[in-house]
Parts: sequence; structure tokens; C-alpha cells
Amino acid sequence: MSEEKKNNKKEDFEPKIVGFLCNWCSYAGADLAGTSRIQYPPNIRIIRVMCSGSVDSMYILRALLEGADGVFVGGCHPGDCHYIDGNYKARRRMVLLENILGTLGLEKERVWLRWISASEGQKFADTMTEMTESIRKLGPNPIAKHWNL
Amino acid sequence: MTQKIFKIKDNDVVSSTNEFLRHLLSSGKIQALLVPQSTPSKKIAYPVLIADPKKLHADIIAPVLPVATATVVSKITKVQPPSKPIGVVMRACQIRALIELVKLNQANLTNIVIIGVDCPGTFPINVYAEFPEKKTPTHFLLETMVKKSNDAEQYLRSACQVCKDPIPTNADIVLGFYGFDIEKEIIVEAHSELGKEILKDITLEEIQEVKTREKAVKEIREEKDKKRAVFLKEKEGIKGIEKVAEFFDKCVNCHNCRQACPICYCKECLFDSAVFDAEAYKFIRRAENKGLFKMPSDALLFQLGRMNHMILSCVECGLCEQACPNAIPLMEVFIPAAENAQKEFTYRPGKDKTEKVPMIVYREDEFLEVGEK
Repeated sequence: MSEEKKNNKKEDFEPKIVGFLCNWCSYAGADLAGTSRIQYPPNIRIIRVMCSGSVDSMYILRALLEGADGVFVGGCHPGDCHYIDGNYKARRRMVLLENILGTLGLEKERVWLRWISASEGQKFADTMTEMTESIRKLGPNPIAKHWNL
Repeated sequence: MTQKIFKIKDNDVVSSTNEFLRHLLSSGKIQALLVPQSTPSKKIAYPVLIADPKKLHADIIAPVLPVATATVVSKITKVQPPSKPIGVVMRACQIRALIELVKLNQANLTNIVIIGVDCPGTFPINVYAEFPEKKTPTHFLLETMVKKSNDAEQYLRSACQVCKDPIPTNADIVLGFYGFDIEKEIIVEAHSELGKEILKDITLEEIQEVKTREKAVKEIREEKDKKRAVFLKEKEGIKGIEKVAEFFDKCVNCHNCRQACPICYCKECLFDSAVFDAEAYKFIRRAENKGLFKMPSDALLFQLGRMNHMILSCVECGLCEQACPNAIPLMEVFIPAAENAQKEFTYRPGKDKTEKVPMIVYREDEFLEVGEK
């Protein structure tokens, strides 16, 4: 395949992103983006969770191994967690998961953690645009074609 | 720390240490002793809880680790710790695992006297049971130690070949033979007040300075570090989904590794739960999405999920690998993963029982770039 065709193919590709958004900040931020009619790519499938600290690495791994092209975790800004310290724990967990993915040479660039508050509708939309484009550049998740996992 | 020299009678370290252990038990200072002892068939040595000194015929050198001794100690102490001291004879990796279990509230060290033994490594269960040499595994191992040869290396489990540290730390009493002629004498060290108390009335030749011990311990640690570095370098190759999928291809989702692991203590593992039960249409929909998928599914999810949950406490005992029915060389993936993850959190499992496991604590001013652009 020529380089040009490859690029064309990547541009056609619509990434599937699974998002875990915390109820108190990022989910409300996404809601604000919607009610403010801010446009952003529709590639994310949002799952509302009570806290980013409740997102076990197992959820993220499951999504990746099932072939999601990206996984997004959104939480309150550090210091603003509704449950005081859930996002600090989420941060440690993300460091561990990225470390393990790094050791095994699996693409940790497909997993994003971002802090988005309830008032940051624009930031949510911008982050979604940024992530969608970034994953589009990475191409489809190579794990998706493995049926023997 | 007090150090004493223990003279070996008739060049027989096994019977001499047994005499010592019997003496401990009959002194009344400890009411029972958990110690590896061969079964009547001599094909294996299990941790045995002994109350009657006459029944003690232990083999503290026996190079086999059929089950995690740390899990056994957890079993004994978790519901209610003993009211009087009991002694537990353990290898370095198992003491590390026990310390982790204490941090995870799965074991209690009240009235537990940890008797650590220098570990020359262990053989896989079947190699030990059907040992190809003319001698028993213990005698073979002792001979190689006296000759200072590395003939035993070929039989060692891969985890033992690249052991992090075969010298016990965090023990109350250490029985050490690195640095000594094991046919003549070994060293008995008391590392805690409890250990000192237990050893108080036992007449051993006390010595002030043991230069040979320090030097030998340093040497063995350096040697193991070197082997580990080579191993880590060699195993860098298992990277990327192609290789990872191939590596775990033989995993049949039996979960034996989890069962054998001293750190995996959860009573209700997610992978035994109803989470993976679903109506037929969901399985079919999943097949339609991908075109096909392997059954039983989620073997790699299990491996990576388990790794995420326990790797920071991994003591690299290699029991997961020993338990694998399909001989997947799990240490090739778990040792590099443990090395990297533990380095990230500057955490050393089994080092300090007052330290908390990394996933339940945090600092506000750490990993500041994570979550930001």
C-alpha cells in the first residue's frame, strides 16, 4: 500500500473511544458542553461512574482488549474530589497501568486521564477533539484483530 | 543484633538444626513450630505445624516450595493470632510475602517468631520428587554448597535463579550458612528483642564479629543482582500485542497461578464472579462484533488484571509459574513488570511492615504531569 493510500485510510477511520466520566465533574462538564451546544467529535461512548477513583484498571483493560481504540478517564481536578481523594488514587492507578502497559509494549498512548470540572464544557469539547485526532493518527487498535486473547 | 555460632555435629546440618529446633520447642518458649518436613514418601517437604518435639524430623534445607508458606502463616494467624509464641521457619521470599500480607491485613505477627533460613534456591516439585541424581535433593544441594560448585543451578526454578535476595530480612532469628562451612558450623542471629529472648538460654558459642558472614552475604547478593540484570535484559523482548498474545496463548484460564500466589488473597476474585456470566445473545453479539472470539474468553484480561492488582507486592517467589499446568514461563513477564512498577513507586515489597502498600496512599504533590496535558 502506498503511503498516500495509508494516510487516506487513517483519515477515514473513526476511532471508538470508551470514556469513564466522574459524576460530579467530568460528566457534568460533558453535559455543559452539550447544553452549551459546543460541537465535538461524537467518537466517545460515555459511561458515568461515581468517581474516577472507582475506575479499576480492569475496566480500562477490558475496553482495550475488546478493541476500543482509546479509553478516556475524566475526574475532578486534584483537590476537588467529591469524595476527597478519589482522583489522587485514580492518578496512582493510572501511573501503575501505564507502567505495566509500557513494560509489555502495549500502546499506553490510547489511555488518557484528564481533569475536567463541571464548569469546563469547552475544555471537555477541546479534549475530545484532541483525543479523537490523536487516536486517529495512531490508527485502529491492533488488539482488535486478535481473537485469541 | 546478636550473633552466635552453631557447631554442626557429624557434618550433618539437617540433624543438627533439628536438634536445635527440638530444643527450642521443648524449652517451652515456643508452643509450636511451622517447619518444612518431608512426607513419609520423601517425595516432597511441606510446611508442617509441629507441637511434639519427638515428632520433629524437619528438613530446613529441602530445596522445594510446594505452597506459599506466607499463605500458611496467614491461615494460622488471620482469624486469631496465637496466645503464646510459635516459630515459623521461612525462606526470604516467603518472609517478604508475609510482610505484604500483614500490610494487607491478611496475617498477624503477634506471637509469631519468624525464623529465616538462608535460601540456596528450590527445585520444581516434580524435579524434587523424581530427582535424577543418586542422592536426595537436600544432600545433593549440600554437597554443591560444600564444593562451591554450581551443579544445582540447572535444577533451580527460574525464579530462584534470578532471586532478588536469598538472605532473610525482617526475621526474628536467622539461621545462616552463607560464609560458613555448612558441614562444620552455621550462624544463628537474633534480629529482634523477641528473637534475643528466645535464644537467651540456649548455649551457643557467642561471637562478636563475623566478617566472613558479611562478605559472603554481599557476594551472594551481588551475584544474584548480576544474574537478574542479565535476565531482565534478555526478557525485554516480550513487547507488543503479537508477542504478549503468543506468550499467554497456552493460558487456559484455570487460575492456578492466582491460587498459588501468596499475594492474591481475595476471597472473591472478580474472575470467579458472575460478571463474566451472560445471556447467550451477548456472547453471540460479541462474536458478531469481532467475527469470532476464543472460548473460554478473557484469559489475557485475567493475566493483565491480576498483574495490575498484585504486581506492586510481587515478591518474585515464582509460585505462579510453578503452578501453571501448561508451563507458561510467567516470571519472564512478571519479573520485568514487578521491577518497573516497583521502581516507579520506589516501593520494595517485604522491606518494611509499617509502610503502606502504594495503592491505598497518595501524595498531593506527586505525578503532577498525569492528568494534565
